Amino acid sequence: MIRFERVSKRYPGSVMALSDVSFHLEAGEMAFLTGHSGAGKSTLLKLIALLERPSGGQVFLDGRNLAKVSRRQLPVLRRKVGVIFQDHKLLSDKTVFDNVALPLIIAGVRYQEIQKRVSAALDQVDLLRKIKTMPLALSGGEQQRVGIARAIISHPPVLLADEPTGNLDPDLSADLMTLFCRLNELGTTVLIASHDIALIEQLNRRVLVLEHGGMSRVEMSRSG
Amino acid sequence: MVNTRKQRRSSRHSMNAGKALAIRAWARRHVYSFFSSLGALVRSPLGTMMTVVVLGIALALPLGLWVGLKNIQQVNPATEDFSSISVFLNSGTDTAATTQLAAAIQSWPEVDKVTSLSPEDALTDFRENSGFAAAVDALTENPLPWVLEIQLLEAAVGTAAESKLQFKQQLDKLLTRLQELPGVEFAQYDLKWLERLHALMDLGASIGRLLALLFGFAVIFVVGNTIRLDIHNRKEEIEVMSLVGATEAFIRRPFLYTGFWYGLFGGMVAVILMSISLALIRSPLDRLLLSYQSEFELITPGFSGSLLVLLTGGVLGLLGAALAVRRHLQNLNPT
Repeated sequence: MIRFERVSKRYPGSVMALSDVSFHLEAGEMAFLTGHSGAGKSTLLKLIALLERPSGGQVFLDGRNLAKVSRRQLPVLRRKVGVIFQDHKLLSDKTVFDNVALPLIIAGVRYQEIQKRVSAALDQVDLLRKIKTMPLALSGGEQQRVGIARAIISHPPVLLADEPTGNLDPDLSADLMTLFCRLNELGTTVLIASHDIALIEQLNRRVLVLEHGGMSRVEMSRSG
Repeated sequence: MVNTRKQRRSSRHSMNAGKALAIRAWARRHVYSFFSSLGALVRSPLGTMMTVVVLGIALALPLGLWVGLKNIQQVNPATEDFSSISVFLNSGTDTAATTQLAAAIQSWPEVDKVTSLSPEDALTDFRENSGFAAAVDALTENPLPWVLEIQLLEAAVGTAAESKLQFKQQLDKLLTRLQELPGVEFAQYDLKWLERLHALMDLGASIGRLLALLFGFAVIFVVGNTIRLDIHNRKEEIEVMSLVGATEAFIRRPFLYTGFWYGLFGGMVAVILMSISLALIRSPLDRLLLSYQSEFELITPGFSGSLLVLLTGGVLGLLGAALAVRRHLQNLNPT
């Protein structure tokens, strides 16, 4: 589903964010991406979500070479990837409902259908009662979950999460991981960037470790 | 065989269904942009109002000029004032000869009415109206000749609505024929005045077109600038929409709609301003026209004219928005 071939990324005027990274994530796989902050986790996710272009190497998403995707095709391909951002990226002047509904509005879904699916998605992250609230009136954890609801509402085949448990207490983190596992069981390819080692170790999944922009090793979270 | 045909038919059917679905989704996205752009304007009423009033004034000025010009053109000087010719007879012509000549001219097909003015009447008139009474009294004899005022038939001479050149040629021909009559000193009509008025009206129309062009540009740039600020203020929203897979067209659309609304509402304000202005000048204008005893119907933009102003405003607004969007929504995606 996601394949990196010797990918590097250099931002103008800075050191290499990623260098010579190669890995392959199968369709329906769930994996973690870990490494200390600044190791290039966010950059790697952005490359998959087509928010950045690699400086070198090639990224494949669902068999397509992303370097060959034209600007016109970009939005359609982006809809295949649900992204949960570290800083939520919610619209502060729109209600929770409008925020979560955004991908469906963009896809031109019928309003009744939107209502149904927004309610269902918010129910999944246990925020249905906040449907009419403005995001700024929510706690950091709640905002995070609104972002998750938005990422999963259009049932994208790939789900990327950048530190999804960063603002959550352990109970909620565990709930969230259960949700990710459930989505994964339903066929979604999930890649989670996190440095929450304790959480990662609860699950027996592949872990991609980044160090100083390079992929240092790929291991199973529970050896044995 | 039958099976494949059925399959083909069903696949064609599903293709059509897919197309219909896509069109419906497209329509839904448009409806969303339509209402969300309108909603955004309503949510910031003060800013919207200020922009709309500026646009309204910019559109009202050329509209006002156009209405004024249309009204002036309605007062057709060619048929009201210029279809008269003054024929001055040789001094010493007597009353009988004058009457005979007047009767002869009266029989011409182009002529509506001939009025003869005796030297005595003319002198009395001059004495009373010119302010040179003392000078007139000092005269020992009347220096004025007989004058025939000839009113021409409108239909025979042609109106100014036809080509001006043709009208002038007609008048010139008539003038020559009058000059050649025995006992006529000379005949004249005040064409200079006519020419000047026509030139002035042409100038007015040119200025009107120029102003319309300039104010049209003003509307485009006012809307463009407003949309530019709008884009700037909604950078976050644009970024997020782009992140979750909005096409550039989808992101652009609300701004284009907003520009259209600005122009349309500006057009409305212009029409309202125009109506108020016309209502305000109506009574003094009527009084002025009454003094000329003129039958005059005030031309207003009317329904179709107002509609045209609204549409023009809308199109100009759309253009302005398109300009801003082209310039400022360019770099949404990494290259």
